[in-house]
Amino acid sequence: MRALIAFMFLVIGAPLHAAEIDIAFTDDRVEVDTGFSGARLTLFGAVTGVDNPAESVDIVSVIRGPAARFEIRKMEKSNLIWTPGKARVINSAPALYHTYATRNINDIAPLPLQSDFRLDADFLNIAVSDSATAAAPENAKTAELYRNAFLTEAHETGLYRARTTGIEFKKGALFTITVDLPANTPVGEYGVSVFLFRDGVLLDADQTTLAVNKVGAERRIYEFAHNRPVSYGLVCVAIALLAGWLAALAFRK
Amino acid sequence: MQLYLPIAEIPVDPFVVIIMGAAVGFLSGMFGVGGGFLMTPLLIFYGIPPAVAVGTEASQIVASSVSGVLAHLKRKTVDFQMGGFLVAGGAMGAVVGIMIFRALRETGKVELLISGSYVVFLGIIGSLMMLESVRTLLRSPDQKRKRRKRRSPAWMASLPFAMRFRASGLYISPIPPILLGFGVGVLAAIMGVGGGFIMVPAMLYILNMPTNVVVGTSLFQIIFVTAITTVLHAAANQTVDIVLALLLLTGGVIGAQLGVRAGVKLKAEQLRALLALIVLAVCARLLIGLALPPASPFVVEMAS
Repeated sequence: MRALIAFMFLVIGAPLHAAEIDIAFTDDRVEVDTGFSGARLTLFGAVTGVDNPAESVDIVSVIRGPAARFEIRKMEKSNLIWTPGKARVINSAPALYHTYATRNINDIAPLPLQSDFRLDADFLNIAVSDSATAAAPENAKTAELYRNAFLTEAHETGLYRARTTGIEFKKGALFTITVDLPANTPVGEYGVSVFLFRDGVLLDADQTTLAVNKVGAERRIYEFAHNRPVSYGLVCVAIALLAGWLAALAFRK
Repeated sequence: MQLYLPIAEIPVDPFVVIIMGAAVGFLSGMFGVGGGFLMTPLLIFYGIPPAVAVGTEASQIVASSVSGVLAHLKRKTVDFQMGGFLVAGGAMGAVVGIMIFRALRETGKVELLISGSYVVFLGIIGSLMMLESVRTLLRSPDQKRKRRKRRSPAWMASLPFAMRFRASGLYISPIPPILLGFGVGVLAAIMGVGGGFIMVPAMLYILNMPTNVVVGTSLFQIIFVTAITTVLHAAANQTVDIVLALLLLTGGVIGAQLGVRAGVKLKAEQLRALLALIVLAVCARLLIGLALPPASPFVVEMAS
């Protein structure tokens, strides 16, 4: 079918109106309740200027979380036990990087385009530095080792993710992107980009930002503990004393 | 069912956590020990970050000491004067312990410090308890244990600021209790324990305090020092998870009641041997955890 459409375009020529992709949110602030094992976010978009988009075009979406600093340590064996070694630092990497594509990214876009638009976390520019000197590590091989360790760990925790599911064409021009945020999702300003491809050619792109906030009792406790740590500690002691006293009352003979 | 812990930042099954609290509560009720030295390793085995396990356990000990402290206050078996010096030393020790904790946290070695301290202390205490109980079990029943003679520790009276401790019937300098409190305070901050397992023997055999005030005074010291430790951990490390503490406490109070009932049915020597076995098993499990290659060869942390 795809080949047939491509052939038809060759014969008939380019469509009269240009293909466009747009994303829109009803609200550019989302509040995710991470009370349980994470949160699901649905983004809406539209493809215009294309007939039957579900059959003829590909969409890639990149969700980029706020930048964060990371420390990576290699576990080393000293005598009998394993200890974490010297820290290497990534001063700035997205705290979350999700890519969603309608199918395998290599079938959608050629490598140079993938690299230019960072359609996979592998194309991110992640610089590793030595924590003590803030300079790059001794050699490129070490830097590469720590960079890969970071990417592996980020994929394992769900903060980085590349999926070929999650984008769904709805009726007509509409599509949705289902983003699964892990429970440890960082809060802050997220960048959301969508790219419209046909036959390896980028037709259009759109991007926007989204403020991600966490809500729920857990979040309030977290913020209290981090913003007013001394008060939080005193409240914890008060709660512990009260709970202990209630328990003593309950079991008094 | 999953519950997301706000400070540990991991989802847990609340029922599993309550059962863990109950299991340790059962043992502490049965053996008459605090249980902090079993709870913290258990939390680590379950996957709670060690730093959070320690900070949280401090707050749980505050809660689980309340009933004991109240009972001893009512029976007037607390030496407040001695307790005051122990708490003063404990507070200083807790501050030093928190500083060590924080410094090692920055170099990523705090988990090693926690596990290492546990291996050393559980190893020593477990072995001593095991030796003692084996010796007692082997001894024929007619051989009575020698009555402990309480003599006034002369060297402690010769230290500066010697004073009378009425409730304990001692005339000693406050320096040894302050030092003892200090040492236990450091351990409380680093290991998330009350330190009764060191405090009680030290009070009996080093300070020569009479048996009737030892437990009450030790509990008095523990509740203050763990409360201070909780606030310090919260302030310096943000590692006190009150949700986790309350879950553990819920299981703990129920478990302790059942444990006390089970404990009456066993002989003291059998109890001690059983506890020694548990302590040595936890020690061995921690040691294996340190010696086996880690699940992931790299540790990645988001720095704030």
